[in-house]
Amino acid sequence: MAPPAQSHRSPSPSQPSGKGEVSDLKTQLRQLAGSRAPGTDDTKRELFKKVISYMTIGIDVSSVFSEMVMCSATSDIVLKKMCYLYVGNYAKHNPDLALLTINFLQRDCKDEDPMIRGLALRSSCSLGVANLVEYLVGPLGNGLKDGNSYVRMVAAVGVLKLYHLSASTCLDADFPPLLKQLMLKDKDAQVVANCLTSLQEIWSLEASTSEEAAREREMLLSKPVVYYFLNRMKEFSEWAQCIVLELVSKYVPVDSEEIFDIMNLLEDRLLHANGAVVLATIKVFLHMTLSMTDVHQQVYERIKAPLLTLVSSGSPEQSYAVLSHLHLLVMRAPYIFSSDYKHFYCQYNEPFYVKKLKLDMLTAVANESNTYEIVTELCEYVANVDIPMARESIRAVGKIALQQYDVNAIVDRLLQFLEMEKEHVTAETLVLVKDLLRKYPQWSHDCIAVVGNISSKNVQEPKAKAALIWMLGEYAQDMQDSPYILEGLVENWDEENSAEVRLHLLTAVMKCFLRRAPETQKALGDALAAGVADFNQDVHDRALLYYRLLKYDVSVAERIVNPPKQAVSVFADTQSSEMKDRIFDEFNSLSVVYQKPSYMFTDKEHRGPFAFSEELGTLSIGTEPSDGAVAAQRVEANDKDLLLGTSEKEESHGYGNNGSAYSAPSYDASTTAGASQGHFDLVSIDQPSTLHPPSGFAIDDLLGLGMPAAPSSAPPALLLNAKAAIDPSAFQQKWRQLPVSLSQETSIDPQGVAGMTNPQALPQHMQGHSINCIASGGQAPNFKFFFFAQKAEGSFAYLVECVINSSSCKVQLKIKTDDQATSQAFSELFQSALSKFGSA
Amino acid sequence: MLQCIFLLSDSGEVLLEKQLTGHRVDRAICDWFWNQILTQGDSLKLVPVISSPTHYLFQVVREGITFLACTQIEMPPLMAIEFLCRVADVLSNYLDGLNEDLIKDNFVIVYELLDEMIDNGFPLTTEPNILREMIAPPNIVSKVLSVVTGNTSNVSNTLPGATASCVPWRKTDLKHATNEVYVDLVEEMDATINRDGNLVKCEIYGEVQVNSNLSGLPDLTLSFANPSVFNDVRFHPCVRLRPWELNQILSFVPPDGQFKLMSYRVKKLKSTPIYVKPQFTSDSGTCRISVLVGIRNDPGKSIDNITVEFRLPPCVTSSDLSPNYGSVNVLADKTCSWTIGRMPKDKAPSMSGTLVLETGMERLHVFPTFQVAFRIMGVALSGLKIDKLDLKNPLSRPHKGFRALTRGGEFQVRS
Repeated sequence: MAPPAQSHRSPSPSQPSGKGEVSDLKTQLRQLAGSRAPGTDDTKRELFKKVISYMTIGIDVSSVFSEMVMCSATSDIVLKKMCYLYVGNYAKHNPDLALLTINFLQRDCKDEDPMIRGLALRSSCSLGVANLVEYLVGPLGNGLKDGNSYVRMVAAVGVLKLYHLSASTCLDADFPPLLKQLMLKDKDAQVVANCLTSLQEIWSLEASTSEEAAREREMLLSKPVVYYFLNRMKEFSEWAQCIVLELVSKYVPVDSEEIFDIMNLLEDRLLHANGAVVLATIKVFLHMTLSMTDVHQQVYERIKAPLLTLVSSGSPEQSYAVLSHLHLLVMRAPYIFSSDYKHFYCQYNEPFYVKKLKLDMLTAVANESNTYEIVTELCEYVANVDIPMARESIRAVGKIALQQYDVNAIVDRLLQFLEMEKEHVTAETLVLVKDLLRKYPQWSHDCIAVVGNISSKNVQEPKAKAALIWMLGEYAQDMQDSPYILEGLVENWDEENSAEVRLHLLTAVMKCFLRRAPETQKALGDALAAGVADFNQDVHDRALLYYRLLKYDVSVAERIVNPPKQAVSVFADTQSSEMKDRIFDEFNSLSVVYQKPSYMFTDKEHRGPFAFSEELGTLSIGTEPSDGAVAAQRVEANDKDLLLGTSEKEESHGYGNNGSAYSAPSYDASTTAGASQGHFDLVSIDQPSTLHPPSGFAIDDLLGLGMPAAPSSAPPALLLNAKAAIDPSAFQQKWRQLPVSLSQETSIDPQGVAGMTNPQALPQHMQGHSINCIASGGQAPNFKFFFFAQKAEGSFAYLVECVINSSSCKVQLKIKTDDQATSQAFSELFQSALSKFGSA
Repeated sequence: MLQCIFLLSDSGEVLLEKQLTGHRVDRAICDWFWNQILTQGDSLKLVPVISSPTHYLFQVVREGITFLACTQIEMPPLMAIEFLCRVADVLSNYLDGLNEDLIKDNFVIVYELLDEMIDNGFPLTTEPNILREMIAPPNIVSKVLSVVTGNTSNVSNTLPGATASCVPWRKTDLKHATNEVYVDLVEEMDATINRDGNLVKCEIYGEVQVNSNLSGLPDLTLSFANPSVFNDVRFHPCVRLRPWELNQILSFVPPDGQFKLMSYRVKKLKSTPIYVKPQFTSDSGTCRISVLVGIRNDPGKSIDNITVEFRLPPCVTSSDLSPNYGSVNVLADKTCSWTIGRMPKDKAPSMSGTLVLETGMERLHVFPTFQVAFRIMGVALSGLKIDKLDLKNPLSRPHKGFRALTRGGEFQVRS
């Protein structure tokens, strides 16, 4: 990490190239250094300004460091500030020169002006030079006892900075107890708040090693301390209030009376002008009342108006953050906003990200009473100029239809879309009509009549075309022209670029043949011939399969390709309800915006083994979590998650029609949590692959429509240790020692490749199969991962280097192991895990 | 908490970088971020909270300047966004506007401000009144002063008195030659009228803005004749909430100068002051358009600053629009803006014309949304009325003034 590097941004011609100007500055500064002539400060100020502006542009001006320090003897506060800024930027990389600054900073720390004392102290603490920490202890100690609150406030944060530089110095100087004293006594609320943030961070970092720190951390959540903060709530600045409220949300009140007291005290915070305060208060309310069903409902009612105001009055960015939270709430209790649906009507000039969330809200709040209005509104967006918006709106209409409200009217609307003769509308609608028919086969008559009129020439998008072809095949007996349309499509086989469409075409022709053999025979022959000659492996394989099936026995083919179908009752939901509960626990955090619990993305992974390097090819091996603790923790979290994945099947999707059932499980969270914890432990994760959530595809997909040839689902004989952990350096060493025992090339599901945009997706997926990622790197289209797995019994380890090309979907595997006998079995297991990536 | 704040220009150049913690954030993150914007096409389209391979980024765009903040740990997203919005507000307030040049010219002030607004990633104070006392804004007055007195420092030598006082938004010893306080009701009407001409949604977002130039520590009470109209209210921290809960009275010690005392929403209004009726009839490749504007519900005061703006669908190749009142401008991006100005007494303004569609297109089937702006002085359309404003501890009788104003906010008519 060089100081603001030029290499990233080549300076434009208009910018000074640096060198000459910097040395000019150097001489000018040197001349001024000793001068005490009047007006010197003004000249200095101009020069300092220049230096800092170069620094801001990204030119390295560290060479004038000593001159800057020499010029720093001044009483002008702006000059001082600029000097502090400069020093703060370069000291870290010039520790020797930084020593020069200590002198004048120490002097300034004793200045009479509290502002200068504060600024000097802040700058001293921000230097970030580890070998200067000894000079910090004195000024910090004085700062904490300073008569001026500004200095104390700076010192309180300074202690935290010192702690990060050198924890031992900070603890040896006994700063935490001092902070605690200040926190509980100081008159100035900002000092109190700063002490709180510093102590929270210090004690939670220390808690793992020191029992005392753990006790102190508990102390922060004790009744007297929390009440102390609550009572001073109104003195705090709005930002400090957020921090205090976050603390309060972790506090567990003894009885309901206490809960009511706290809520009464905090209720006026809901009227605060700062949205962050409002949201933090809401978090307190929601968490405290989890165990009190009735009150919890009342809380929903109470927080409704402030939330809706936040959505409609703030900037789009604020609306976005608030809407993400609303979406979470509405998933738990759809009824709360069902009468306020109009708040989620989209404005024409809102950014797309806000509109998208509003559409999600509209689909979530739709119920018997408002569906008509909502769908009417959505239909207006469909006619909108904004094409992405039109598409999203159609999808929203479709989602509402699949929620079973007033399907009748919706199907009519959808069919009207088809008559609008706009390509993107038609395309999007066709996909939806297909899904609708899978759920409500009784509508096939009406739909087919309209769909039959669409010329396949007007449909170009692969997904839409595939949907149309699916319908042509599925309803071949109801559509007069079906065989002939399909025949036309088969004739243009070579012009069809999408493998998905060709796959569907094969299946559709097959189905059509099974119903109307005489008319389709020619088309089928052509399709099979073209399919067998196809360069795409999947298309080729499927054509061959059909060909052999037909050759073997037509009735068997019929049973396989065209069995009687049951309507799909629920489509797979992307998120389990347990997952949503987990996110709810992290209300008012990034988890809500990303719609993922934080363990799936927070910094442990970033700092740890998943450090993704910017440049291609450079591979970073994580060094920090050398003990397996973090890894094990993560694995554990993931284990639960997988189990939840299966339980999702029984109880998910309830939210659509039964709101109260939805939030029920969490009310007595303490008991169920305990129980389910036990449940997790009972089911050990020795066979991870079987726990993978089964996909909710229709029966068609037995043949792997849209999926690569289905991997065998039988669990391989090899069992892996779910809690395997290895030190990255040990991995490196082992990798160097072992010979390659297996080198293979395979392919990855294109859907999986799409998921690679999130660098954590694949490691997380593989972890679900007890294969841990040690390091990863690369940039599209080439990604490189190192995985590690361990056999359940015995300590045999498997090391894998996996190079994925996301554009060609090719994967190269190199497996090294100290147990050669099972390397083949492991390779199979690895590939089967990999092939499931993205398809679930 | 936040680790770093960057200010980027509209071409992705780093205008300013403020590291907040010991973990230095490399500038390369800005390049990554800008690539994201380029792939999205427009900075306004990029989601405000995104995750890069190394950091979580928050971004807020104001006047072409992107405020970008980075963090690596979990934190309340709204807090980060609110903070960035405040930074943007404070800067534009200080620099009297916001653009690349202003920031480049005043980067020292921006650094100073950020220094006081956030420390170690935790926001400290964003209250403009307090900041103003610590760092003087670069206005003409201070420039003149510096010439006269020879003191060029733009920093006051004393710490803000308010930090020690119990009223953090106000200095203790303020003196004004004129004692005056003005209260403005500023309302914005948000309305959506659908294709059939029905009013789908109509509500008022209002603010009570106060400009106070009072000496000493004045204690004000403001009461409304009909506080029951409010659906939801939010207050400046100076408002005491107990009197509001009991009697719906606003009791407060005001900050000095202009500030927003409260904001409120009034839902479910039944009608709008004006109507806009667009009509399209397509016939073999051309489309007739006519737009009528008139008074639906007379507010009793004249309606002025009326403009109607809409964007022609991309399939329109040329247009010929003529109004019977006001003027029409068609911009290169097919935005048509029809400026009417004050509503005429004698006739209803109308605009008509023809649109020529792309060859091969028979009729128009995407229709624009019309955005309507207007202003009515002297009326708060929500019906809100101020009853009285009392001063508890007056040194002398202050001059009091009240005004009301309603503007069109998100007033949209679909066609």
